[in-house]
Amino acid sequence: MTPRRQRQLLDAALIPLLAILSGLVLASIFVLLAKNSPLVAYRELFRAGFGCTALARCGFLTTLERATPLIFTGLSAVVAFRSGMFSIGQEGQFVLGAMVAAWLGYAIPLPPVVHPALILVLAMAVGAAYAYVPAVLKVRLNVNEIITTIIFNSIAILFMTYLVNFPLRATRGSTAVTRPIDATAQLPEFLPGSHWGVGFVLAILAVVLVWIYLWRSVTGYEQRMAGQAPGFARYGGIRGGRAAIRGMLVSGALAGAAGAIEVLGVHHQVLQGFSVGLGFDGVLVAILGQVHPVGVLLVSVLFAGIRLGAQIGLQITTNIPRELGGGILALIILFVSARSLYTDLLAWVARVTGRQRAPGKEAA
Amino acid sequence: MTSPIDGRGGMDHQGPPLAVEMSGITKYFPSSDVLANDHVDFAVAAGEVHALVGENGAGKTTLMNILFGLVAPDSGSIRVDGRPVRIHHPDDAIRLGIDMVHQHFKLVPSFTVAENILLGIEPTRAGFVRAADENARVRALADEFGLPVDPTARVGDLPVSLQQRVEILKALQRDARLLILDEPTAVLTPQESQELFGVIRALAARGRTVIFITHKLVEVIEVAHHVSVMRRGRMVGTKPVAETNVRELARMMVGREVLFRVNKPPARPGRPVLEVDRLTVTRQDGVQAVADLSLTVRAGEIVGVAGVSGNGQTELVDAVTGMRPADSGTIRLLGQPITHLPVWDRRASGMAHIPEDRLTVGLNLQTTLDENVVVSRYREPQFSRAGLLVREKIAALAEWVVSRFSVAAARPGEDIATLSGGNLQKVVLGRELSGEPTCIVANQPTRGLDVGSIEFVHQTLIDARDRGVAVLLVSVELDEILALADRILVLFRGRIVGELDAATATEEDVGILMAGGTLEAVS
Amino acid sequence: MIGEILTLAVLRSGIRLATPIALAAIGGALCNRAGVLNFALEGMMLFGAFSAIVGAFWTGNTYLGVLIAAVSGGMIGLVFAFLYLRYRVDLIIMALAINLFIAEMTVYFLRTFFGAFGSWSDPSIRQLPDIAIPGLSRIPVVGTLLNGHNIIVYLSWAAALGAFIVLYRTKFGRHIRAVGENQSAAETVGISVPAVKVFVLVISGALAALGGAFLSVGHLTLFTRDMSNGRGWLGVTAALFGLNHPIFVLFAGLFFGTADAVAVRLQTVTTIPPSLVQFLPNIAAIVALVLVGLSGRLKRGTLRMRTRPPQPLAGAAVAQKEQ
Repeated sequence: MTPRRQRQLLDAALIPLLAILSGLVLASIFVLLAKNSPLVAYRELFRAGFGCTALARCGFLTTLERATPLIFTGLSAVVAFRSGMFSIGQEGQFVLGAMVAAWLGYAIPLPPVVHPALILVLAMAVGAAYAYVPAVLKVRLNVNEIITTIIFNSIAILFMTYLVNFPLRATRGSTAVTRPIDATAQLPEFLPGSHWGVGFVLAILAVVLVWIYLWRSVTGYEQRMAGQAPGFARYGGIRGGRAAIRGMLVSGALAGAAGAIEVLGVHHQVLQGFSVGLGFDGVLVAILGQVHPVGVLLVSVLFAGIRLGAQIGLQITTNIPRELGGGILALIILFVSARSLYTDLLAWVARVTGRQRAPGKEAA
Repeated sequence: MTSPIDGRGGMDHQGPPLAVEMSGITKYFPSSDVLANDHVDFAVAAGEVHALVGENGAGKTTLMNILFGLVAPDSGSIRVDGRPVRIHHPDDAIRLGIDMVHQHFKLVPSFTVAENILLGIEPTRAGFVRAADENARVRALADEFGLPVDPTARVGDLPVSLQQRVEILKALQRDARLLILDEPTAVLTPQESQELFGVIRALAARGRTVIFITHKLVEVIEVAHHVSVMRRGRMVGTKPVAETNVRELARMMVGREVLFRVNKPPARPGRPVLEVDRLTVTRQDGVQAVADLSLTVRAGEIVGVAGVSGNGQTELVDAVTGMRPADSGTIRLLGQPITHLPVWDRRASGMAHIPEDRLTVGLNLQTTLDENVVVSRYREPQFSRAGLLVREKIAALAEWVVSRFSVAAARPGEDIATLSGGNLQKVVLGRELSGEPTCIVANQPTRGLDVGSIEFVHQTLIDARDRGVAVLLVSVELDEILALADRILVLFRGRIVGELDAATATEEDVGILMAGGTLEAVS
Repeated sequence: MIGEILTLAVLRSGIRLATPIALAAIGGALCNRAGVLNFALEGMMLFGAFSAIVGAFWTGNTYLGVLIAAVSGGMIGLVFAFLYLRYRVDLIIMALAINLFIAEMTVYFLRTFFGAFGSWSDPSIRQLPDIAIPGLSRIPVVGTLLNGHNIIVYLSWAAALGAFIVLYRTKFGRHIRAVGENQSAAETVGISVPAVKVFVLVISGALAALGGAFLSVGHLTLFTRDMSNGRGWLGVTAALFGLNHPIFVLFAGLFFGTADAVAVRLQTVTTIPPSLVQFLPNIAAIVALVLVGLSGRLKRGTLRMRTRPPQPLAGAAVAQKEQ
């Protein structure tokens, strides 16, 4: 590995870490504004999110479970981004995948293993199909996919609201909810009650498969080239439009799978107000994770831990609202995208410590 | 001297011409590891026309960008009319009376001529602009300098030569007393170039100093009083034009005797390989870029398509290689019609393509050598199996390219952005030739390369020709066409207007055809 | 049936509902003209909604609250501009981060300072009064449509007109357009590109926040989480649909506002559930985008909206070579 490559990788790992620190530091201002101690707040947050007192009360395991949908939506964003598509439609695809699982989970009786497997496949198909329209609009008519996927998200959420409140409504109670799925459809848990189970294993599997897809498969190669250098791809004979659309299909399938697994493994039904941001969080995870499957895996755990820690540790133990978690995450993203802040800083440090970066074919 | 930046635009654009002296200018670009200017001394006398020549990458544009304030030198000083000055920004240069017309025009396409000329110095009444006032001022300016333009015309619709005129007027509006023109004839026909020379002479006669950058030595002899030659970032020397000639200048530019004709064995053409029949290609804006064009390239010959940039070269190459659909006509490769085949199938049939843009089309700088080299062949069974890439074979291909084509500094696993222009083009050549094509379409294959790389590319094409490959060479560099081609076709406004045997063709003849003239008329 | 739906009341409602969208869209159009993609309009609008109601509460005066909203929106624009110009932050990513931050932290502050959970109001806050324009009441149909709205509605029309005049009749407006079309041309001529970009970002922030103020104090006096509910994004869409021309953009906003009003009307007139009926403005937005895409194919588009998805940091330095 050349020095230049080493430096590139260092930057890729170091800058997100610095961004996380900066985010935490800046967020502490808001904690102080609420007349609380940042140190106490962060201690509670990290203990709740990543700590483990007993196997039965392990925040970390819950974080892993919470990370599962993020890993999927994060991978979904990675695949989309690497095919040149700035798709943030994971939210909508997630919701539709969840509805497929919520409905087919009780509507068709099937033996175990087959039941969830089939649902998963169908949910992925639905997710892929939902990603198809924004993809085609972009490729054929150059309609900006950021805007279309956001609008499609709204439509999907509205549709879910309709389904949960009317045709699939299970109870007459005040909150609409669908019927719980059959036991045959449910994904088993490793630790009873924790919801941490097969879903997480599937997530790890997905990380490996996405990596193989992107860097070892022919289709992955095509879509990466089309995403990085469209002129080059076309010149070499790659059908750029098709590659991008294929990437979006895979992306939609991953997000759809996320929704299905969330229902099959965790909730077993869909409530009004389901999901709330898991899709969009996937986008942020992909950005922070350097648009790479392994990065997504690590960052998903971080994200889930911070959100869980804010929800349980902050809001329950202190009186700080859990929204601070989201605020911290937003700041981290902000700092990551201000990378020149850090490259300037690192260059200054290098200069001051006497290690001049040698002039050469240098990546700034 | 009143400030030019107050929208004054009055009738009196006088002011004495400038003399400029640059001493010890040094500029190093760390990001590309290039020493663009190495202690350069450059002096221009007041009121003269001074040519600055050198081949691609010699440092001429950098030097002028420093004079115009676009680039800050690492060291060195500048004196204007004997006074030391600091130029940090184009504003400073303009205030001193120095202005520049760049190769890529700095014009706003949707604005009118007047709006462009007065951009930044619009005369206003309480912040509001008045088109009538602006048009009147521009008309007066155009009349004063004998450069007629329609102030209300939309600049985006104007032909390139008129756009250039707008750029010149823009400088004159700001009371430029020294004009820098960067490769002004690159986009002009020979006739338009003559018109421009007339303008330059007139400007000098009216008390302006003109520096123009060019690599076309013939122009230097025609128009300039003095010429300064740069090579590899150094100033080689300055001579009065009357005391030198093209041959000497070329030697100064390159450092050794330049052979204007590459010694190549005579061609032995065989059967037709590439046949283009009545091809028509229409651009997005409705203009017919290629109109009813026919040509044939036989095995073992190099057909050179000469022409001024913008006469349909891009569309022709795109249509032949499959990057763009043809509206009508047929294209055949070894007798098989390929007119509607996608790019991949044409390549599979034996067509290789060296594109004019190697940075964003010929290569993907963000990825590794392996992934660059296999892009046109990855679907072949040896490179992909069961949907997965066969990495060992791809790596072997990359190694073959590196060794066979002497690609320097290529590191596996790293992106190729650090390679020099010459090495990048070698990668392109290597990849395109690795598939043993029957036909090579080469579009501006030596643009932006140093002499050593140019020779390498030329030799590679000739070797391919001698192995029986049909080569279609499209180039705006007449020297290149004359050096390489066996048959010369001239492209003008999308049509072939003449065919010449390279052995007997003269530069004048080709130039006349390039400009749209006919050979019979010259007697 | 159409007559039952497209009543005068519905059209009037459409004009009102269009206001926040149009305000965001005018700001967005100005930014697009300067070559800056502002995807934070949603967050700026939400922040405006928040500041307006909190400002109205603290000062006891709703109009002051609206002013505070506009100023605070402008400040967000300033922060945006600073990060973009000084640290070369990716515009889109930064916009998404700002949107998230505002969405979360407005709720955070409501909870921390007002103890609210989800939504907040206070009886002391008065909604903006409707203004009767003398003379309009006497014109039959048009008068009823245009009269009696609150000040923010009228400000939105003034903003459209003002933006039009500035862009096409003033020196500064020309500079804005020059920066957007050919930045290097503008720079060489001495136009301060940073000044132009800061200006459009601040103005768009103020306008979008004004739109948010309309939501929170213009009709009801209430703040709920995620109150902007996609209207900022409709503003982005309207700017594109209106081809970044302030007057067309205003009408694009009216188009979406009417779709919204029709959706509300459908809920009372038919038995279609509200969630399905809300499809209407969203579908309208997609149709609008498709139309823009189709028209872009026909003529040479002056709408350059190139967005690149996030790239890994390590590969970003390559951009240098591509000169």
